[in-house]
Formats: sequence, structure tokens, C-alpha cells
Amino acid sequence: MICEKCKERPASVVITKGYMGESIEHHLCEKCAFQSEAFHFSPNEEPLSIQQFLSHWFGGGDTFQTQPKRRGTTAHQLECPDCKLTFGNFLDIGKFGCATCYETFKERLPHVFGKLHNGQTTHTGKIPVSFNELYAIKRKIEEVRVKMQEAVEAERFEEAAELRDEARMLQQHLSNGGEAYNVD
Amino acid sequence: MSIEKFMQSAITGWMTGEGEYSDIVMATRVRLARNLRGYRFPIAASEDEALAVDKMAAGALLDEVDGKGYAYIRMSDLSKLDREVLVEKHLISPQLTNPERQGAVVLSEDETVSIMVNEEDHIRIQCIFPGLQLEEAYQQADAVDDLLEKQLPYAFDEQFGYLTSCPSNTGTGVRASVMMHLPALTITKQIKRIIPAITRLGIVVRGSYGEGSKALGNVYQVSNQVTLGKTEAEILEELGNVTARLIAHERQARKNLLEKSRTALEDRLHRSLGTLVYARLLPTGEAAKCLSDVRLGVDLGLIKDVDVSIMNELMIFMQPGFLQQYANAELTQEERDIFRAKLFRARLLIDGALPSTKKSKED
Repeated sequence: MICEKCKERPASVVITKGYMGESIEHHLCEKCAFQSEAFHFSPNEEPLSIQQFLSHWFGGGDTFQTQPKRRGTTAHQLECPDCKLTFGNFLDIGKFGCATCYETFKERLPHVFGKLHNGQTTHTGKIPVSFNELYAIKRKIEEVRVKMQEAVEAERFEEAAELRDEARMLQQHLSNGGEAYNVD
Repeated sequence: MSIEKFMQSAITGWMTGEGEYSDIVMATRVRLARNLRGYRFPIAASEDEALAVDKMAAGALLDEVDGKGYAYIRMSDLSKLDREVLVEKHLISPQLTNPERQGAVVLSEDETVSIMVNEEDHIRIQCIFPGLQLEEAYQQADAVDDLLEKQLPYAFDEQFGYLTSCPSNTGTGVRASVMMHLPALTITKQIKRIIPAITRLGIVVRGSYGEGSKALGNVYQVSNQVTLGKTEAEILEELGNVTARLIAHERQARKNLLEKSRTALEDRLHRSLGTLVYARLLPTGEAAKCLSDVRLGVDLGLIKDVDVSIMNELMIFMQPGFLQQYANAELTQEERDIFRAKLFRARLLIDGALPSTKKSKED
């Protein structure tokens, strides 16, 4: 089946929209589904129907409730600068568009994760070695800054200047490490 | 090509019917979801971006895992049927075959390791082993993860762990699944009471023939639901505990069935064997049910001379992709049912999976 919206790509997402007590099915491709804000989603490949789950928990409860009634809050309009996903759209499709979404919706995520992961909101498992290195640099910068502050307060300005340079160097190192991997 | 030869060439590591508790646990699968920093997830990525991810991942994968019998396969280079067969072998997911995704897979020679590129996440490392081998499957996946991590910048966050497209994978990104054959719990209807109880423990039970499917052939997939706030070891341990309890319940139910209704059970299982051997039309549902019965019969020693690994093979080969690949043609549903019956007959009767029938041929 071809996507109803773009009429190009194969439809892989079934959307059920409630209207006047009846439900109407729409078949969209994943791209159009991702961009659409007008419907509730039910991707046929998703076993747990996370998006329905999220919509039920955070979207006002009634799947067949029309969208405008439960929209309009600023929280729902929070938009990710990288992939343009809004928080409302995230609740609808149950998927993040990019890693930046996590930063954008940071405040609201513990609540979402709590519901999905038996009340758990913080990672305690494996940490990538490379991340550990970056994390170590971050910790070192914090340490150096504290020392620098102490030196300033004790009026040991020469030492403070050295510590400031060290912090700058570490900061540079940290941003190189992060940016070296970024797309142009 | 004879059916036996076709099956031998198409067989994959986890179907061998070996491994611990292989009478109940068919296979163990562990999957790790990973994404690259600085690239949008496949659902939101442009074609160029997806291609860039593919290039980067393929480079790292081939550097790190090539030379050890791995092959890099682009989905766009495969025929529809070949892609379907990979899905039916549980080596890739249906999502990977989405033409929008620029999907690719890196497969180990023995097909125990498959690394999907541009699935729902940029990288999904999957290890599938026969029988119950949670630790082994995780260690293998973890080792591949360590190798990749040396070259690829993973999207990771102090608070949320590995960042994934679906919030249900955030944290460890680990989904460990045990594929279990639970006929006695199903026949005695106990499974309906057990599933809700298990769900409360953060473990999900569903059918194994595709997600969201019914437990066709009484095969269930039992997997962890929670990926945040628990270490990988805790996730594996909890799943292992639930699996052990399910094995114990299934064994008890089998014992009860034997003790309380042996003749009725024997009759049912042998009728199913008869259907598999003599039917001329075998729809998927009936084939799966009969295979489950015969497998149970073999496990209980009620049906002799049939190898369990053949039951495992047939459970995979009865699926549409495999049937059509063997037939080397596109088949309608009715044609498939006819062809399936023919294939089962040949495998069980002509190819000599049943020595008694082989003997009678010789006489």
C-alpha cells in the first residue's frame, strides 16, 4: 500500500483517528507519520505500542479525543532544534528523532521513563570507555576551577592564572574530542 | 537440490536444537541498540545522512570484524525474497528492509552475530545462540560493542545512558529474549495466568513469529522490558530467573499431562505426526500446531526416531519466504499450503527423518 500523504513511499504506519464516534484508518509512510501532528499513531511493527501507551499516560487519556483539545500547552510545543520533533509529536509517535531530543525534553523525560521502566529514570549500566575519558576530563575541569577560585580568594593570582590556562586547555581538549566526531 | 541439501545449506547456528534446556528453550537472543553522536536517528534522517551513517558504520565494522568471516550486505542488493528469508531466520528485523532506511547487515559466517545498520537505531548488534545461553549471547554482543566503540562515537548521556530512538530501549539498549516452546502450559491453559504475573516483573511474553503475533506453534518470546536503572547483569539475571521458572512450570505441566491423560495426549501427538506426514494441504497455523505437538512427543519420548533439529528446521522453513525460495518461484497462499505439505512429506518421509518409514521403503 502507498502512503496516503506523499503518495510515493510504501505505507508502514496505520493511524486511527477518531471522528464523531467512529474511527477512521489512515495509512502513512514512516516519514509522513514522523512529520504529522494530526493523528494518533499505531505503527504495525511496534509490539508494545509505545506511542499509544505514552499518549494514554500523558496525552489526556482518551485515544479518540481530538487533538486540538489536548494540545496548546507550551510543553507540547517544545521543539528539538536538530530534528524539529515537538514534545507533543514525540508522545504521539513514541520515538525520538535524534540524540538532541533527549537534551531538549530533558525536564520531562524522567516522568516518561519512570512510566516505561518501572519507576527507573537513571542509567546504571555499561558506560563506553570513550565516554569515561571525556567524563574524566569534565571532572578534572571542575576540579581545576575550584582550585582556581581558591587561589583567587587567597590572592595567589599567578597560580590562579596558571590554573585558568589549564582549565582552558582541558576545555579545548574536551570540545575537540566531542566535535571531532560531529558531522561537518 | 534435495530438500535435505537445501536445508543443510540454509540452516543457521541457532536452529541446531542444541544448547542447555533445548527441549524447551529453542534459542537465546541478545540485542544492543546503539546510535552515533551527531547524526539524526534513521526515522528522522535524510537520505544523505543515512548514507553517511552507513559509510561510517560499515568502515568501522569491516575494520573491526572483517577477516573473521563477516560479510557486509546492503539491503538494496538483496532480492525481496532473500530479505524475507533473513527475516524468517530471525537474523534481521522487518524494519531493516524498509527501503527508506538505507539498511545493511553485517553477518558472521555462522550467522550467530548480525549487526544491523540503519534499523530503528543506527546500529543494532544481535547475537542468537541455540538453547538457553543468556550469558554467552550477551558476552558475544558486548565484545562486538567494545570493538565498535573504539571507532564509533556513540550517543551516550550520563543520566540516560545509551540514547535510542525508542524510549523503551534507552539506558542499556539491551533486549534479551528467550524463545521458548511451551506446549503443555498452553494446552492446560496455565499460560494465560502466568503471562500477567510475569509482566508485573518487567518481563514481556509474546509470540515469536514476528512481533505482535500470536504464539504460533506454542512458541513464545520472553524478554526484558526495562532497560533503564538496571545493569546488564541484573537484566540478564532477572530474565534468567523467569525463564528457569517457566521451564519448571512447563516440565511439571508435561508430567501432569502424561500422568493424567497419557492416551489422549499420545493420540493427539500421533495424529499431528500423521497430518505432517500425509497431508496434501498444510496451512501455516495447522503446520505450526502439528510441529509443536510432534516436538512435544519427541521431548516426552512418545514419538521416537524423529530428530528435534528437524522440528526446528521445519518451524523456520514452513514460512512463506523459505517456501518460495525453495520453490524458486512466487507462490499464492494455496500454492504455498500445497508446497508446504509436499516439503514436510519429503523431509519426514522420503528423506528418511522417520527411520521406520525408511525401513518400510527398503522392504
